This record gives sequence, C-alpha cells and structure tokens, in this order.
Amino acid sequence: MNPQEAVVLQQLVNGLSLGMMYALLALGFTMVYGIIELINFAHFNVFMSGTFFGLWFLAFMGFNKTSRPLSGLNLVLVLLATFAVTMLVTGALGAIIERLCLKPMRGVSGTAPMITTIGVSLVLQALILFASNFANNVPYPGLVPPDRWAVLGTTVNVTLKNVLLWVSAIVLMFVLDAFVRRTWLGKAMRATAQDPEAARMMGIRIDVIILATFFIGSALAGAAALIFGLYYGLTSYIVGYLAGLRAFTAAVLGGIGNIPGAVLGGLVIGFVEALSGQFIGNAWSDAVIFSILIFVMVFKPNGLLGMQRPQRA
Amino acid sequence: MHVLLRRIGPSLIAGAALVSSSLAPGAAHIAAAQSYPSSIEVGINLPFTGADAADAANIRDGALMAIDEINNAGGIANQIKIVPLIKDDGTVAAGQYDPAQAATNTKEFVADQNVVAVVGPQMSGSGKAMSPIASAANLMLITPSSTNPDITDPQFASQYRPNGAAIYFRTVTTDAFQGPFMANFAAENLGLHNIYVLDDTGAYGEGIANSFEQQAMAKGINILGHDKLDPKESDYTSVLTKIAAMNPDGLYYGGVQQAGEKLAAEAKDLLPAGIPLMGGDGMYSVGFIADEPAAAEGWYATIAAPDTIDTPEAADWVARYQSKYNKAPQDYALTSYDAVLVINDTVSRLIKDGQPITRQNVRDYAAQTNLPTLQGVISFDDNGDLKDKIVSVFQVQDGQYHYIGAAPQS
Repeated sequence: MNPQEAVVLQQLVNGLSLGMMYALLALGFTMVYGIIELINFAHFNVFMSGTFFGLWFLAFMGFNKTSRPLSGLNLVLVLLATFAVTMLVTGALGAIIERLCLKPMRGVSGTAPMITTIGVSLVLQALILFASNFANNVPYPGLVPPDRWAVLGTTVNVTLKNVLLWVSAIVLMFVLDAFVRRTWLGKAMRATAQDPEAARMMGIRIDVIILATFFIGSALAGAAALIFGLYYGLTSYIVGYLAGLRAFTAAVLGGIGNIPGAVLGGLVIGFVEALSGQFIGNAWSDAVIFSILIFVMVFKPNGLLGMQRPQRA
Repeated sequence: MHVLLRRIGPSLIAGAALVSSSLAPGAAHIAAAQSYPSSIEVGINLPFTGADAADAANIRDGALMAIDEINNAGGIANQIKIVPLIKDDGTVAAGQYDPAQAATNTKEFVADQNVVAVVGPQMSGSGKAMSPIASAANLMLITPSSTNPDITDPQFASQYRPNGAAIYFRTVTTDAFQGPFMANFAAENLGLHNIYVLDDTGAYGEGIANSFEQQAMAKGINILGHDKLDPKESDYTSVLTKIAAMNPDGLYYGGVQQAGEKLAAEAKDLLPAGIPLMGGDGMYSVGFIADEPAAAEGWYATIAAPDTIDTPEAADWVARYQSKYNKAPQDYALTSYDAVLVINDTVSRLIKDGQPITRQNVRDYAAQTNLPTLQGVISFDDNGDLKDKIVSVFQVQDGQYHYIGAAPQS
C-alpha cells in the first residue's frame, strides 16, 4: 500500500468514528420526528449537557484530568457504569423537556413547538455554562489507554478509543433495533409512528409513547456525549451546535423519521468530513457537508432511504 | 470634542500655565491652580467569558494592582484617584472574545465622559473593532497583549485610525516580530526543516501564522502546508492525520486557546511523539496548562515582550502580586501593570505642565512616553508600537512555562 492510500484509509478510520457518533445523535432527531413530526432542536444541547453529566459522574467517582488510564476489567466496569448513569440522566433530561415544554403544546399547529425547542436549547446552554463555572474546554479524564494497532501490517492505526467507540455504538444500535422490533413498547412506538389515531384506538397511550421516545433518543445522545468526551479528551458548552447540526443533517440525509437512514446519514457525513479535512481543509468541512446535503436533496427529496412520518387520516 | 470641558478650569489659566511652563521650570505651583477632578476613570476591556478567561483575569489583576498601588499612594500626582471601569468583551455565543461586543464596550467607554484611557483589549480581533471607534473619539487604548501588526500599521491607518494620530498603544511588540522571530528560533535553535502551519482563522491567528510562514521560508524551511481550523469545530483528527502522513519535523499553530487546546489534546495522540509543537502568545496561557496538563507538555510558546517576571529585578513585584492574588503572575500581567503606569505617567506629566486632562491631551502626552519600567524603557514610535522589539520563547516543562531565551532577531 502506498502512503497516499494509507492516509486515505486512516481518514476512513477517523470518519467511521465520527460517523458513529453522528449516527447515535441523529437517532434522537429521527425517532422524535417519526412520532410527532417535530424537529427537536433541544437535542443539540441535550447532547452537550450529556458530555457534562458524564464528566461530573466521572469526577464523582474520583477521576479527574490527572487520572491515569485504566486497563482491563477496571476500565470496562467504569465505562459501563458511566454509560449507564450518563444515558439515564441525559434521557431523563430529554423526558423532562418533553413533559414540561412540549406536552402542553401538543396540538398547537405551526412552528411554535419547534421554536420552543430552540429556546430550550439556548436555556440549556446557559445553564451548563453557569454550572461549569464559565469554564471553556473542560478536560475529560484520560481513562482509555493510548493503545494502538497497525492494521494488517500497514501504517494505518486503529486506537483502543476507536475500537471502544465502534463497539459501544454498534451495541447500542442493535439494542435499539431489537427494542423497536421485538418489545411491546417498541411495537407501540412503531404503531404510533404509522398512525397515531389508530394506535390510540387500539389502546396505546400516546403520551407515554412520546415520553419514552424522548427518553430513548436523549439517552442515545447521552451515550454519544460520553463517547465524544472520552474520544476528544475535552468538552465545552459550545460543542452541541456543530455536532447537533451535523447529526440533524445526517437524519435529513438518510430520510428523517427513518432509523436505518439516520445511521447511514451519520456515517456518510462522518466520512465526508474526514475526507474533506484531508483534501480540502478543516475550515471548509461544513461547506462540503451541506453541499452534499443539497445535492442529495435535489435528486432524492426524501433522503437516501426515504422519509417516514405519521400518516394523516 | 472636549469631553472633559466641564472639568477644565478657565482656558485663560490653562493658557497662562502653558506660557509660564515654557518660560520657567517652576510651573508646578501654577498648575496647582488648575482645578483637577478628584478621580478619573480608566476602562479595562478583556474577555472574561470563554476560552481565554483565565488569562483575561491575570491581565486584569495586573492592571488593578497598579491602580490600587497608585491610589494607596495618594493617587496620580498625589491628587487624582483612578477608578477602574471593567467590561467583558467575551460572549457566550462566541465562546471567546467577540469583536461585536468589544465595539459595543468601546462605544460605552466613549460615552462615559470620565473615561480618559482604556487598558485592553487582550485580543487583536477585538482591537480591530475597537480602534476605529476609539480613534474617532480620541480615546487612547493601551493593550498589554494584542499583537496583530495591522492595527497600528500606517498602511491601514484609514481603517483603524481614521483620525490619523496613533490611538492604539502597546506595552508589547507585534506579530510582525513575534511570528518571524519564532521562525528564526525554529530554524536556528531547533534546526527544523519541514513545518506544517495551522491557524484559527482569527485576526491574530492568521496574522501571526502568515508572518511565521514567510520568515520560515526565507530561512529555508520547507512549509508542508497551511490549514485553517474552525475554532468551534471539535474534530481536528482528519487534519492531524493528514499532517502526520507528511512526516513534518515541526508544527506551528497561530491562534488562541479555543482551537489550540483541542488541537493539543488531539495532536498528542495523532502526531509522532517528540516533534516540536509551537505557538505564539495565544498558547502562552495559564488556562492551557491547567486544562490540558498532559497535552501541553513540550509545547513551545512565545510572548511579545521580554521575560521580566523571572528576573531578579521583578522578584519584589512578583511577590506583591502573589500575596495580593494568591496566584503566580504571567508576563502579560506585568505588561498590563505597565500599561497603567503609562497612563499614570501621562496624566502626571499633564498635571505637571498644568494641562487639562482631556482625551486629546492624554493621547498626545502618552505618545511622548519615555518611562523606565521593569520590562525596560517604554516609549512608542509614531504608530503607538513599542520601540523595544523583544520576543521571548518558553517551553512547557513539568507543567510550567520554562523560559528558553529571547528568540533570534534574524
């Protein structure tokens, strides 16, 4: 393999990691849209808050920026506990936002609920800024050892961080898939997404389903948030905007409301961003990503895998 | 125009004072007849919100220490107290300094008739927004850390000082020297041959990165490429992967901390260990080491001033700062302290000459400054730039900025 090919392959490794993160985040947008046709901009900063929840839980367990990397069982246990707590707390935040700010607006037509989510997003950002004592670029504990392996005897490296990121994202996606397909709640969710009126007539409590959707979507954002913090080694109250915008774009690109579409869209955007960093330049990533979005939308207005939204009677 | 008109004594007296001061050295007793205010205000404009907050606080404390010391000793010329008026030009939306906020703050300073001079800004991006507004009002700015050369360059005078006269004074030198001298250091002291350059798209970052690049090429260093980082972006892995594949023996980053810390954190994993990572005074920061102790290790950074705080002459000053604020100062706290000393000296000379304290007079007298301070004699050229051009190089070693030496001037 010549060096030129190796660096492109290395960029694909980077892109896969980015893409998985965007995909987890895009799932929250797409699930909420699939159920109530709402673009939830609060999701941007629910994600950002999640990075801080993870950080605070790690601090609570005594890990800080000077902590040494863990290994073996210790690492797995600490990560599992942190994932569980971060997802739970972030999910709860999403559910609280739904109950407090969006449920009262159910049935209000037009853009009012969407504008509300923008407002909630800004409030969350300000709250976290206060809670973090106006800090910027808050460091994460470096828990994951910097192990790396060369792939197939080439100069392409895969780090332990990459592997953990991929494994946790794939596990979560499979769990979500199984949940939506096989469990009672998942089936009720799909029924609500297809036709809320009919679902209600079948005895499904729509409000519970919507609340659960917000909880699950936000919990996935919490997982993405923790992955983000551990992967980049820091967070800040501004990280929600760009990551959220790209994840939202991923959801639209894949076909909003479509769960496999969100994953596909996330991966596409991850790869595009990594490759545009290689060939065009970091500062132009957004221009490239959104050009591709526009291009795809012109030819496939419903996204790559087709839009899915509640049917109207 | 005469913003302090109501405080000025009858112009006849001022005229008489002028005449007598030119005739006899003993003008002081006539000057005392001038009715001076019991206090003047000095604006302080720094980004206390966002990425550079820790350094902004450090710089503010240097200025406040000077103000307290002057006031405790009876005020300027034993009669005028200095009242600091502190404004924040960092915003939540920008996550760092925000030029639009800096412009708003400057307009507020201009509108407040008691403000005779402003210490700040910390960042050149803000300086570019403030300078034209201050120029129109004849309100002198004196920056302890902003180093972009364009602001004081006569070539851009119509843009940054439409009134013509120097308005943007500095107690540090500029990136016209900071970037190139570091390039000299990279070539002469570090012996580098292949360097990749990055900047953070800000006024300061672009300026210093470009000037570094030019001088590096003049020194025969091969520039592998020059990329721009979006400071709001979190992911620099792709650009770092690209750089690592080019096998550079050094990296220069022009910019401030918001992108710099993320760059350092990710570079630690992605760039080959041991290649020199270099920055300007944007990477000389208390926050950088505190936030990223592991990633900061080994980074080179410069300041656009002599390294004064490590000298024996400054030991007493450092001890005073430490006992007052319970933290160690950095050099830009000293340049900020010196900025207040310049204002003190300027107003003292006005009083000595029996001149009224107008913004116009303060600016004119500040331009004539020739003041010995701990960092050396402060005097300005026609553009407000410091005549001394010294750039100091530091390296982060064991969580401290360790002074390496002055960067070679050629």
